[in-house]
Amino acid sequence: MDALLEARNLVKVYRTGAAPTPALRGVSLAVRRGEFVSIMGPSGCGKSTLLYLLGLLAAPTEGTFLLAGTNTGTISDRGRTLLRRRHIGFVFQRFNLLSTLSAEDNVALALRLRGRPAGTHARQILAAVGLEEKRRRRPGELSVGQQQRVAIARALVTHPDVLLADEPTGNLDSESSERILDLIGRFHADEGQTVILITHNEKVAARAQRLVRMRDGRLLDA
Amino acid sequence: MLPVANILARKVRTTISVLAVGVGVALFLVLVGLTGMLREIADRTTNVEAHLMVWPASDQVVLSGGLPADKVQHDLETIPAVQRAVPVLRWPLKMADRVQNVYGIRPEDWKIFAGPSAIVEGRALQSGDEMVIDTRLARAGPYCVGQTVQRWGRSYTIVGIAREGVAGRVFMPIQTVSRAMSQDVLRASFFYVRLAQAGDVAPVREAVEARGLRVITFDEYYDVLASSFVDMDLVIGAVVFVAGFVCFLVILLTVYTMVVERTREIGVLKAIGASRLQIFGLVMAEAGLICAAGIGVGFLLTWGSRSLILDLQPLWTVEIPAVRFVYAAALAAGGTTLGAIHPALRAARQDPVESLRYE
Repeated sequence: MDALLEARNLVKVYRTGAAPTPALRGVSLAVRRGEFVSIMGPSGCGKSTLLYLLGLLAAPTEGTFLLAGTNTGTISDRGRTLLRRRHIGFVFQRFNLLSTLSAEDNVALALRLRGRPAGTHARQILAAVGLEEKRRRRPGELSVGQQQRVAIARALVTHPDVLLADEPTGNLDSESSERILDLIGRFHADEGQTVILITHNEKVAARAQRLVRMRDGRLLDA
Repeated sequence: MLPVANILARKVRTTISVLAVGVGVALFLVLVGLTGMLREIADRTTNVEAHLMVWPASDQVVLSGGLPADKVQHDLETIPAVQRAVPVLRWPLKMADRVQNVYGIRPEDWKIFAGPSAIVEGRALQSGDEMVIDTRLARAGPYCVGQTVQRWGRSYTIVGIAREGVAGRVFMPIQTVSRAMSQDVLRASFFYVRLAQAGDVAPVREAVEARGLRVITFDEYYDVLASSFVDMDLVIGAVVFVAGFVCFLVILLTVYTMVVERTREIGVLKAIGASRLQIFGLVMAEAGLICAAGIGVGFLLTWGSRSLILDLQPLWTVEIPAVRFVYAAALAAGGTTLGAIHPALRAARQDPVESLRYE
């Protein structure tokens, strides 16, 4: 089966400060449609950088990245934005909900940015994550677990090909973490959602179909 | 949705920004409106059944010592195209706490200035120590028909009140004013000249100037008056600049602060699919909302300020034609746009990864 994402020898060097900092040192990874992959490694190993490259938030210094068959190295910033809109959903460790909007409006925002009417989609997906009754609450009025569920709803309301989750349980207690992982697992199992989840936690990483370890900017097994 | 939510999330800052834009708008409308006082004076002064004014050549239009009234009137009326020359003796008189220019005229010339229909209360001038005032001065005083005014060591009775818009706010018999000025010979500050044909200005001007006098047509009068005071264009230009600069500066500061505060949020927006153009548009929309609210507040402040000024100084004029509200809105919008562009571009160009890592 063709890979949905294919990274070949990705290198990322940050040139801030006196000396350049290599964050990725030649990462190759292929993920098929419907796979659930976790990337595990200690802090500072380059997990987040890899995720940002896979999510087209940054461009690699070297290497090739194909997303749904498109070579992202040859496209403009606007092209990357359009690809990201079409194929990628993000979930962050710190939820990153907009504090001035309600839960429903946070989810609907993802649709509106794509020029689509929100309609009832936001409400439906909030119901799917068990938060329909709290749809009018602002993030500050929700628990951390609930906020992360809203963030997952926001990421999935546009039916992206890939869900990229950056330490989604990093700020949660164990009970909330389990609920979030169950939720992600359910979307993967029931909807065939492709998931790439990064974590430093073995237990969280074990939830995935495939575990890839990372250290010092390199994958130890792909 | 998001721009509205964002500006409402910072109520104090938004209020201050809106007020600042509003003050800029009101400043422009009221201060430029005050320059309308000269226009009001010019409009009144030329609201006469004549075509031009004849002044001594050397004197300023604002205050003139005098020409021999009878002699010059007769001389002017010998010019072929001149139908009538009407002498006016102007002299300052304090009423309603402000110096008014008294129009000393021959009572029989009243019909040139306004006619009987302009008298709304009392009667027109006849002779002696009497005066006719306009409705605006009557309200400001307040004054009424029958009331006496003590000036120049004598009592003068208000015998009539004329509709606002007549040439002077105070009319008195020219002989009365001349006596008060202790003139040996009846003099006139200037003459209104009525022509047989409105188009005869050029030959009349030539003939009058040959007599060592100065002609000012009604079309020219406002410019001549304005030149006697400070450079109006300079004043208006300064006011426009300050008003626009206030809007620009306030918006620049507000929007820049907003963008820096929401660095992380901008990264999130990009991560969930916002393009550079959408980020730029969101920031500009927030600035636009502040501007729109500021314009509304500015109009209200203008209305309030104008009412207060006219309450405190009823004889002042704050002229604000409807089109000037459009100019004021455009000025605010222009200042706002210029102020918001740089921070909006900054937001649009922010690196999403750096933004997401921003604490």
